[in-house]
Amino acid sequence: MSAYPTTARREATAPRPAAHPEPSTAHQVGRRRRTRRALLAAAVFLSPLAVFYGIYYLYAFGFLADMSTKQTSLSFTDVTDVGLENFRLVLTDPAFHTALLNNLIFAAVSIVAALTIGFFLAVSLASGVRFRRLFYAVFLLPSLIPLSLFATVFGRMLETDDGAVNTALRSMGLGSLTQDWLGSTGPAYTALFVLLVYLVGLPVMYYTSDLSTLNTSVLEAAMIDGAKAGQMYRLILFPMLRGTHRTVILSVLLGSFRAFDVVYFSSNGQPGGRTQITGTYLYNTMMGSGRVGYASAAAVIVLVIAIAVSAVQILLERRSK
Amino acid sequence: MRGPSRALGAAAAVLALGFTAACGDSGGVGGAEAAKQDKATAGETVTLNYWTWFPPEATLKEAISAFEKANPNIKINLREFDSADYQKQLPLALNGGQSLDLVGVQISAMTNTVREQLRPVADWQDELPAGWRSDLNTTMVTQTEKAAKDGKLYSVPLGSIGSSVMLSNAAMLKELGIPFPKTADELKAAVDKIKKEKPGVTPVVFTGEPWWQEEMLFTIAGQTSPSLSDDILAGRKKWNDPALVKALTDYKSLFDKGIISKSVLSLKGTRPAEQFTSGKAAFLVDGSWQSSMLSAAYRKANKIGLTDVGASAFPVVESGGSPAARGYAEGGLAIPKTSKHVAEAAKFVSFMAVGAGVDVWSKDLVLVPAKNGFKPDESVLTSQAARDGYAAVAAVVAGAGSARNSNQSFLNQVEGNAILDVLRGQSTPQAAADKMQKEWASRRYDTQ
Repeated sequence: MSAYPTTARREATAPRPAAHPEPSTAHQVGRRRRTRRALLAAAVFLSPLAVFYGIYYLYAFGFLADMSTKQTSLSFTDVTDVGLENFRLVLTDPAFHTALLNNLIFAAVSIVAALTIGFFLAVSLASGVRFRRLFYAVFLLPSLIPLSLFATVFGRMLETDDGAVNTALRSMGLGSLTQDWLGSTGPAYTALFVLLVYLVGLPVMYYTSDLSTLNTSVLEAAMIDGAKAGQMYRLILFPMLRGTHRTVILSVLLGSFRAFDVVYFSSNGQPGGRTQITGTYLYNTMMGSGRVGYASAAAVIVLVIAIAVSAVQILLERRSK
Repeated sequence: MRGPSRALGAAAAVLALGFTAACGDSGGVGGAEAAKQDKATAGETVTLNYWTWFPPEATLKEAISAFEKANPNIKINLREFDSADYQKQLPLALNGGQSLDLVGVQISAMTNTVREQLRPVADWQDELPAGWRSDLNTTMVTQTEKAAKDGKLYSVPLGSIGSSVMLSNAAMLKELGIPFPKTADELKAAVDKIKKEKPGVTPVVFTGEPWWQEEMLFTIAGQTSPSLSDDILAGRKKWNDPALVKALTDYKSLFDKGIISKSVLSLKGTRPAEQFTSGKAAFLVDGSWQSSMLSAAYRKANKIGLTDVGASAFPVVESGGSPAARGYAEGGLAIPKTSKHVAEAAKFVSFMAVGAGVDVWSKDLVLVPAKNGFKPDESVLTSQAARDGYAAVAAVVAGAGSARNSNQSFLNQVEGNAILDVLRGQSTPQAAADKMQKEWASRRYDTQ
């Protein structure tokens, strides 16, 4: 051991003036106290939500996971343990594969629609076009009214003989384009794509909200430099709203796993279950006696996939930053 | 930092405990033990809590009012549900220990889901009139017993329903001089005439939803193989049995011959009935529960403009076949274990099943009543077409060769879609039948 203390040790062992503490140390103590108070306040304010979350989500998730290894009915009194058999049956079901694939296809269509049509509409409406309130109403309304109602009306419009779509086509002299919309796969997908595209209201709201916070001096500079409208959309506004794109993509992607009402009340999976998504799959498999376990296993798988998709999405975003 | 961390940690532990508790306990709660009885003192009014989905609320209130008038010390607190919603709500309520005195049970769909929370009828039949069982249709009571896995009777059936049957716009048929078709060929002639004389009218409508396709298929199959539905669902025959492939082929032939338009398959929910009641369709193929439309009073009350409605069994498709339908006991009335007023509840069951209540609720014609010797009120069926129609529906339902039963998940996920694929020409009958059998054998749709 050295006879003389090192600089660091000298600093550590040096007597501190009692009456006048070092300003930096006092600042740290004060900051710690403030942090502690803030955390306590956060804990107090968050606790009701945490309890709510615990009861309604964690308990439900736990119950779901438990039920997924059982065969039982809604009475939950006649429980048989079946291990992982429910998972095996779900994972080997071609209808489940179709439902899952449709989830991804519909999510992709919704994302493309949001990033193109949604973005374009938001920027156009924000630029002060005439009747923009009317246009906002037209595009936002489907996202604001219950989707079940909206999808039911849409499904009714697709009826072959009396549906509004075919009636309109016939009245315009385009009778050759009339379809049995939900009777064959191509037209059924087309109809659902149209429905999903029409639900761009939420992305439009996200973009509209973030557009109002943009620094307009960049746009003014671009205008002075002679940039055209297309260039401003593509090269300036689109990149500047990168953060909004991420929000939109994530919300639309996860929304596709909750699009039960959109599909159930419009196509109901027709034709032949080929437009079914995981939500309608879960609903259909739940029907009948003793089906709770199987439906729970399917729900757990969908939940894990949704979490995995979100995690991948977030990781990719972080990497791209 | 330690204080808040501990607080947050404790909160997380509480949540984790809840999570673990959820994982650890999958047993049911409540309803296992029969509640002790509250004996009403003289003059005391007893209120019975009654949940059901049937009959329609207006009719049920009329029946309840008649019961309360005859039993001034008993009041009934009614809560009525939509049919599909009721299938989920009642098991959860009974399992949660909800205090109910009377419940309607969808015999085929719900008996096994709720039976452990119900008192077997044997436990309270002493409160029913002597010989109550012989006053009821034996087949319906037996079906209700067989619906329970343990073979016990848990509810008293009010009646039965069946499908498919065919309602017709009798006034339109009379105007066009078309007799009620009894065979597919006669139906074809009727359809051709309707198309020619009434171009804006769709001759035959029904719902294109997957679940209904089973009703159509087994009605046609039942015309030549009455027990095919029972045999397949019980595992005695396979889904690709030649009789089923033949039935698929026969069903498809109705579309190929132009008797039924493929556009009908785009109709969902109440749309077929709307078309029929608005005069835009001549024939509605549906269940016997639509027999209400035979009643002029019902049509007037529901603003249905049709002047006369008839009904019949679905026309026979294959020569040599007989009219058929699948039928099952329905509208069970049961007393839950939570009831503290069994004697009073049994009085209501008696009133509705074998007493004066039958004449009140049966006016809706939704069920064919289980009460032996029942004859519909003459004021309800005012035309010959309606009287003949009701008799035809009651006869085909009573003579059903198979129970109106389904594996609902299989029906929604596989069967209905496979049948629709055949009708749309996207699959052959044999391929569809093989697909159904393959999925049935996968054990994916096993029930308890």
